[in-house]
Amino acid sequence: MSALSGAASVVGIGATEFSKDSGRSELQLAAEAVRAALDDAGLRPSDVDGLVTFSMDANAEIAVARELGVPRLRFFGQIGYGGGAACATVGHAAMAVATGVADVVVCYRAFNERSGHRFGRVAAGATAAPTSGGIDNGWQYPVGLSTPAATVAMFAQRYLHEFGATSEDFGRVAVAMRRHAATNPRAWFHGRPITLAEHQASRWIVEPLHLLDCCQESDGAVAVVVTSTARARDLPHPPAVITAAAQGSGADQFTMTSYYRDDLTGLPELGLVARQLWAQAGIGPADVQVGMLYDHFTPFVLVQLEELGFCGRGEARHFLADGGIELDGALPVNPHGGQLGEAYIHGMNGLAEGVRQIRGSAVNQVADVRNVVVTAGTGVPTSGLVLAVG
Amino acid sequence: MAAAVTRAPGAPPAVGTELPALRLDVTATFVVATALATRDFQDVHHDRVAAVARGSKDIFLNILTTTGLVQRCVTDWAGPAAVVRAVSIRLGVPCYAGDELVLGGRVAAVEAAHAGGPEGVEVLVEVVGRCGLGDHVTGTVKVVLP
Amino acid sequence: MSAGVAPVADAVQDPAERIREAARRLVEAGDCAPRPARDPVNEPMINNWTEALGDANPAYPGIAPPAMVQVWTMGGLHGQRADDDPLGAMTRVLDEAGYTSVVATDCAQTYARALRPGERLAVRARLTDVAGPKRTALGEGWFVTTVSTWTVDGEPVAEMMFRILKFRPPPPPPPPRQVPRPQVNRDTAYFWEGTAVGELRIQKCGECGALRHPPGPMCPRCGATRPGYVVASGRGEVYSFVVHHHPPLPGREVPFVVALVELEEGVRVLGELRGADPGAVRIGAPVEVDFDRIDDELVLPAWRPR
Repeated sequence: MSALSGAASVVGIGATEFSKDSGRSELQLAAEAVRAALDDAGLRPSDVDGLVTFSMDANAEIAVARELGVPRLRFFGQIGYGGGAACATVGHAAMAVATGVADVVVCYRAFNERSGHRFGRVAAGATAAPTSGGIDNGWQYPVGLSTPAATVAMFAQRYLHEFGATSEDFGRVAVAMRRHAATNPRAWFHGRPITLAEHQASRWIVEPLHLLDCCQESDGAVAVVVTSTARARDLPHPPAVITAAAQGSGADQFTMTSYYRDDLTGLPELGLVARQLWAQAGIGPADVQVGMLYDHFTPFVLVQLEELGFCGRGEARHFLADGGIELDGALPVNPHGGQLGEAYIHGMNGLAEGVRQIRGSAVNQVADVRNVVVTAGTGVPTSGLVLAVG
Repeated sequence: MAAAVTRAPGAPPAVGTELPALRLDVTATFVVATALATRDFQDVHHDRVAAVARGSKDIFLNILTTTGLVQRCVTDWAGPAAVVRAVSIRLGVPCYAGDELVLGGRVAAVEAAHAGGPEGVEVLVEVVGRCGLGDHVTGTVKVVLP
Repeated sequence: MSAGVAPVADAVQDPAERIREAARRLVEAGDCAPRPARDPVNEPMINNWTEALGDANPAYPGIAPPAMVQVWTMGGLHGQRADDDPLGAMTRVLDEAGYTSVVATDCAQTYARALRPGERLAVRARLTDVAGPKRTALGEGWFVTTVSTWTVDGEPVAEMMFRILKFRPPPPPPPPRQVPRPQVNRDTAYFWEGTAVGELRIQKCGECGALRHPPGPMCPRCGATRPGYVVASGRGEVYSFVVHHHPPLPGREVPFVVALVELEEGVRVLGELRGADPGAVRIGAPVEVDFDRIDDELVLPAWRPR
């Protein structure tokens, strides 16, 4: 158990609707989600003294603070590496709260990822930045490997080769997520489950990934409020206690293209996160009732199950075939439908669902939830959380 | 504009004789004036916008003018008494407005004129006209000199 | 089609044979009807011509410049080819076969006698030869030759052989390929300078000899900052690969393969795998380096099967 474990809690969650065309600016989405999260927490903008977001977010902390009328900010920051930042925003907030640097920190992510800039398109200028990242991209974009799906497909092909898995094993993730989303009214794919045959028949995006291996593109925003667990006792909702928060970056780490390590079948940066989470929280995989696993592309859900220790290396396909990630399975994963089914808000909607599962207020509520593990973007330097009933 | 008649009358020219060069500033006005004087109203010879739209860099000389200039190159040298019997040309690169066209000739053959035609010697002159892009025209002119 | 010349039967399928058949019929049809000049040979038009061409020959306008013969029978500002004009008919045949562009190649005029103001000319034309298809610098085409005869009261006074090339314009050159361009700095310049000269260069630590790709300024093994490079053999095996279908990418046609290749030297390098059936690529397939020249300043590493 670390000094961080249990010191802070998530006490409010808020979101806009999830759509394909929000019809308003990203800043408005951010402000609406933050205000909703504060309302949920029973707090006011004047209570806020910290803001954390993704470095990819277009809305600076000061811009959001202006819209909310936050009079003073003592702590603010942006976490890098795309969706890998999701849990780290809360981790940084928890560290600030645990150390007394800030009292109430709101973490947010807001974008028009469907109606505005789409990540699945080739990022113009990805190689132009005079930075180490711009140089890194120069090994990949010019030769034609230039979309997130393509970078994940390179890992996935090797995974299939080494473990004898098939595209259907990836498909079982998509089918489960769409089944969960089908009963979630907030999900874009509410009422629209798919079959494994439909997954197999969907068009290729980048082999070995079909269209239905790729998460959707969404407009929307999510915010969560972090404060001390002590203060949380006085707020309206039962706290989701942050019993572990960790970041991870592995040896020879790149963003989406860590192709130069001995092994391509794992996510060592997530393995590093997992070991920290279990150590901080003082629990193991068997103590977790719900997994909120980052599902931008199906193959990395399998690898996450393995890195987190829910099954052995190369065994995820059996875990899936046995219904392991279904609502009544060994580890219900993403009961809201994940990014494949509910919305792609860079992992923050999964984080909010983790809080609902702790509160017992989710539409697809898993019984007797005590611990939820939450992961962030995969293939990049990443982060994770364990949320627990207080 | 007219070049001096430089051939000495009387003596037939020797094979290999070089004709004086005929240098022409091919202005847009020249291209248009000659096109209209030869009753050639194709737009590429007078309408720059149309010429560019058709893939040319500018308006350019028409064939009837090139034929007439090849003839002129020889008659300027041969004088008014010469009788032109044939002009035969092969066309090369276009000659655009703004270019310079330099025509030159060389006597390639001299023989007695054929019976039934004008009296004198029949001279075959090879003509080359060059512009900025290269050979605009190569050809021969057959004239009978008294 | 020229009046009185039957169209080529649809049964003739071969395009070249259809052209030859149409040409045969037009050649057999001989001269078209004589077309009279608008005006008699006249001093004002001669003067316009000599003024424009700068021709000071004092024989004019007493006689007309011989090379002016065609001017007298030009169609004029609103002129249209006669239905039986053989060049017009042959042009239509070749246009339909895709030989839509035209360039004049030869013009040979002979003059029987000088023409004087007052004489009234007429011209008739016949198709004499259609030769092709021939490869030319401009594209594949057919040489079409006609002969025009000018007469005064039935007396032939001048003749002109006129040859054009009707050609199929070559497809426009593909636009230059636009791919994202790598940023080159002092840590990576050796690599891109290598591809430009056909070498696949791998960073080698100047101290401990460790090979490394992608490169960096400091050896992660020994800490030295003296990187050099070796030229790789270029041979390796596919360690993993993807087949890109969507979205379309600038500078590439889908589907295409990008392979992560493990070189004999032990490092991995990304590149497009070209010349392989995307459906047949397998992990472990032997490949060798290829170089994909984008333009004068950028050559990308690529792979081909070996």
